[in-house]
Amino acid sequence: MDSSESPTETKKTKSKTPRKNKETVLKQKSPAEFFAENKNIAGFDNPGKSLYTTVRELVENSLDSAESISELPVVEITIEEIKKSKFNSMIGLIDCERVDAELYDDYETEKAREKRLAKEARAQEIQAKNAALGKKVKETPASKGIRGRGEASFYRVICKDNGKGMPHDDILNMFGRVLSGTKYGLKQTRGKFGLGAKMALIWSKMSTGLPIEISSSMRNQSYMSFCRLDIDIHKNIPHVHVHEKRENKERWRGAEIQVVIEGNWTTYRSKILHYMRQMAVITPYAQFLFKFVSDAPEKNVTIRFSRRTDVMPPVPLETKHHPSSVDLLLIKRLIAETSKQNLLQFLQHEFVNISKSHAERLIGEMGPDFSPKMALKSLTPQQLVRIHQLFRQAKFDDPNGHCLSPAGEYNLRLGIIKELHPDMVATYSGSAQVFEGHPFIVEAGVSIGGKNVKQGLNIFRFANRIPLLFEQGADVVTRTALKRINWSSYKINQLQDKIGIFVSIVSTKIPFKGTGKEYIGDDITEIASAVKYSIKQCCVQLKSKIVKKMQAREQQERKRNLSKYIPDATGAVYNVLKDMAETQLHASKKFRYGDDDGELLRKVYENLITKETLSEKLAKHVEQVDYEMALEYATQSGVSEEPRETIYIKPLETENKIIDLHSPFFVFRMFH
Amino acid sequence: MAESSKKRRRTNTDDLPFKNKLKPDSTILQTLKDFSTSSSSSSSSSKTLTLQDLSLPFSCREVSDLSLSSVQSNIESLVLRIAHSILSGNGFAFDVPSRAATNQFYVPELDRIVLKDKSSLRPFANISTVRKSAITARILQLVHQLCIKGIHVTKRDLFYTDVKLFQDQIQSDTVLDDVSCMLGCTRSSLNVVAAEKGVVVGRLIFSDNGDMIDCTKMGMGGKAIPPNIDRVGDMQSDALFILLVEKDAAYMRLAEDRFYNRFPCIIVTAKGQPDVATRLFLKKMKMELNLPVLALVDSDPYGLKILSVYGCGSKNMSYDSANLTTPDIKWLGVRPSDLDKYKIPEQCRLPMTEQDIKTGKDMLEEDFVKKNPGWVEELTLMVKTKQKAEIQALSTFGFQYLSEVYLPLKLQQKDWL
Repeated sequence: MDSSESPTETKKTKSKTPRKNKETVLKQKSPAEFFAENKNIAGFDNPGKSLYTTVRELVENSLDSAESISELPVVEITIEEIKKSKFNSMIGLIDCERVDAELYDDYETEKAREKRLAKEARAQEIQAKNAALGKKVKETPASKGIRGRGEASFYRVICKDNGKGMPHDDILNMFGRVLSGTKYGLKQTRGKFGLGAKMALIWSKMSTGLPIEISSSMRNQSYMSFCRLDIDIHKNIPHVHVHEKRENKERWRGAEIQVVIEGNWTTYRSKILHYMRQMAVITPYAQFLFKFVSDAPEKNVTIRFSRRTDVMPPVPLETKHHPSSVDLLLIKRLIAETSKQNLLQFLQHEFVNISKSHAERLIGEMGPDFSPKMALKSLTPQQLVRIHQLFRQAKFDDPNGHCLSPAGEYNLRLGIIKELHPDMVATYSGSAQVFEGHPFIVEAGVSIGGKNVKQGLNIFRFANRIPLLFEQGADVVTRTALKRINWSSYKINQLQDKIGIFVSIVSTKIPFKGTGKEYIGDDITEIASAVKYSIKQCCVQLKSKIVKKMQAREQQERKRNLSKYIPDATGAVYNVLKDMAETQLHASKKFRYGDDDGELLRKVYENLITKETLSEKLAKHVEQVDYEMALEYATQSGVSEEPRETIYIKPLETENKIIDLHSPFFVFRMFH
Repeated sequence: MAESSKKRRRTNTDDLPFKNKLKPDSTILQTLKDFSTSSSSSSSSSKTLTLQDLSLPFSCREVSDLSLSSVQSNIESLVLRIAHSILSGNGFAFDVPSRAATNQFYVPELDRIVLKDKSSLRPFANISTVRKSAITARILQLVHQLCIKGIHVTKRDLFYTDVKLFQDQIQSDTVLDDVSCMLGCTRSSLNVVAAEKGVVVGRLIFSDNGDMIDCTKMGMGGKAIPPNIDRVGDMQSDALFILLVEKDAAYMRLAEDRFYNRFPCIIVTAKGQPDVATRLFLKKMKMELNLPVLALVDSDPYGLKILSVYGCGSKNMSYDSANLTTPDIKWLGVRPSDLDKYKIPEQCRLPMTEQDIKTGKDMLEEDFVKKNPGWVEELTLMVKTKQKAEIQALSTFGFQYLSEVYLPLKLQQKDWL
């Protein structure tokens, strides 16, 4: 845990103006309070989005946890719908019948009721008529019970993983204290702010008042930690109900988190499923089981995203800061935290890309009152500003991308193939580049065709290996794909083809725009050009495949396409000839033409040459050309390019006696 | 020259900027008269050059007006050749002159674009040209019919005769140009005309198909320019110059204010990119009346582009540039330097888009701009300030500012390039 980042120190202040002439009271606000009031910052805008964000945060924590111990992730996520009556009994509230109906928002007045009944009767009449006429009867629109405000739906979200688990004593702070986390270092992580799971807890406290339940067990632990807690929002400290060690008979390792929140499955169903699907694309080495359980069995959903590879990207390394990315505050903090004594050592060891000689040169440049051996503690605030200035102006080598862990071209391709089953796919992995001292890597994939893909551009965005679903329009990937790629030059039809575009950006700091982690802005030239280049590289790969395919198709359709125009061409030629022949003969047999031409026109006039004659001759010519070109194509492309068909040979006798000879590497099967 | 007796609709426009700089109309008229006579004497003294006069290092393709019967016999001999080729089992192919940009050449001596003589084969038995050669055959047949019957049709008519084959009008139009290029005749000799687009108003009298037309008595809208120029003849005018206007709106303003009565002139517009008929008409006026041509276009790269099409021809029709281009058009306005000179407020200027700037820079490389140092200067200024303005920007000082102040002042100062 990061002790220097003690959250209680970063209190937000807010002055309030009371209505009457009271003194202005200076109030303090805890981080938990702040985020409870501004929960949209963390993606908890409305019940539906809250359900989505909760799922997302829990899944991402699980993946991070499993990857941190290089374990292939297995994540099970279950959303359980809880009916109002069940919810009430859970919290010990007795169901109350409405007594004064007019109190409620959805109260139906006498007039409205008459109207509705009349409308329903009319609808039934029409339906009956249609049925009588044998028309296809539309499904009766399920008469929705008018849902008023406050008719909330509740869900229990359970997320179970096989990750690292959590130390017994840390669980309380990991869930019950906002802005505390294990991911604050400078490295590529999915989460960043120490908000996710806590926000889910705050939301559950706000909407249902039920605590969160955590079970966790770590490697080599004989027990299982169980904890039921909620959060004291005003103090930003955990409020513990149960915190105990339980028996762990199955030697289970991992974490299971259960939280009951208000949500909206109906409107966010597709978003959540999209999220799971895209997650499966970018993490093909993980196994996901997604379940939605409710009282109505037809609404239930179970999807398994199975694992396709054992190759996992390496764990991202924590890295040191790049001199051009630090600010004054950060320099001060690094000085406070470092174990180094003097300036030279500090520069050399606390930053990347500063060697000893480089550090000496830098110190020389800082001015006469700096020296390599001077104690860090003796630096005045003015001197710190000077160091910061120099860091800004001086040139440093770009940080390398070793600390990053991109999904990898292999995994990306596998993920695309696994989830989309495209006809064609191309992937590209760029080299590390730099934006404001933070290295980033862009990987891209472009696919054509596939199932569940709509026509046109389908954009899949990933940042630090998490899918981004919202704010698509403003995102750098969307804009690049829409505006800066000339698809037609790669023989791709932007409107007709089913194009999948996958771009994954990893960095130690993703420059998200706006408050939520929703999208990356289009104003960063470094990222925009890297994205464009990666997509283009994929397109170049695809183009040669597409061209080959088109050639093959052209080959097959050439004769038909050529023959299609024979009637048009010969018709035109014949009509001119006929007109000529007629005028010639009317013009008192004056020969305006040479012998050959005169002969030709005579034959046309006498119907010896007709339109059909011309068509026949032209068709023969087309056939010959087609044959020649097919021959040429075959010699150029080789026989191997011929479309192949799988041939199945049926055994003569249905029953065969076989002997399998097993060896560690292969099986040898002998038929008698 | 007749001073207009008609009462001009003048409201209290005396507070218009630069109004006080205007001298009396009679002084301006005298300036114009001098200009008109000097330009007519200078142009008449130098004989119009033709391609043959120059010994160019390559041969060029130029078309000429052909009579109906020679067009017909050209088509017939072509068709006979094709028929023989088909019957002998060799399929057929058209030898079509290339109208690609690489085959175009700007001749500074002539001040227009000409077409070099590169051509490409259009064989039927090739998947990439089969469609075009079928369309070419069909168009040839249709034109042949027109020749026999001796009638005119529009391009639209032509397209509708075989919509199924042509699919859209662009395809039949392109092939039509190919055909006229292939037969070596102008498009009007094929008896195919475009719909009327251009209009003319002002001090011009001419005969259209035998009817005398007085363009001062054509109401506000003016007379539509006839699509086939051979109908036009007997041009007479007492104008001092021809004013070419890019936009319909500016044209309407000038026509309604009867600008041509205050300063005797002929006003022409093609409402944007000029069509063939308007260009032919302008050329004919220039040749027969020997008047200077002044152009009023937008201050953006496209305005200059339109000017260039009138002046040295479009690439698409370069095979007929001799008949279509009017040399020596002066750029009167609105020029980039006018924006500051006439203090056009910021809110009426528009920032140029990236595409605009690119077009502007490309045009700086074009020969027809380079030959005129004044134009280069103006265009450089436009690209540098990255601002453009339409003719309508002048309306910011009042709707009639264009006809009351801007144009008279420009004429008085002889401010053209």
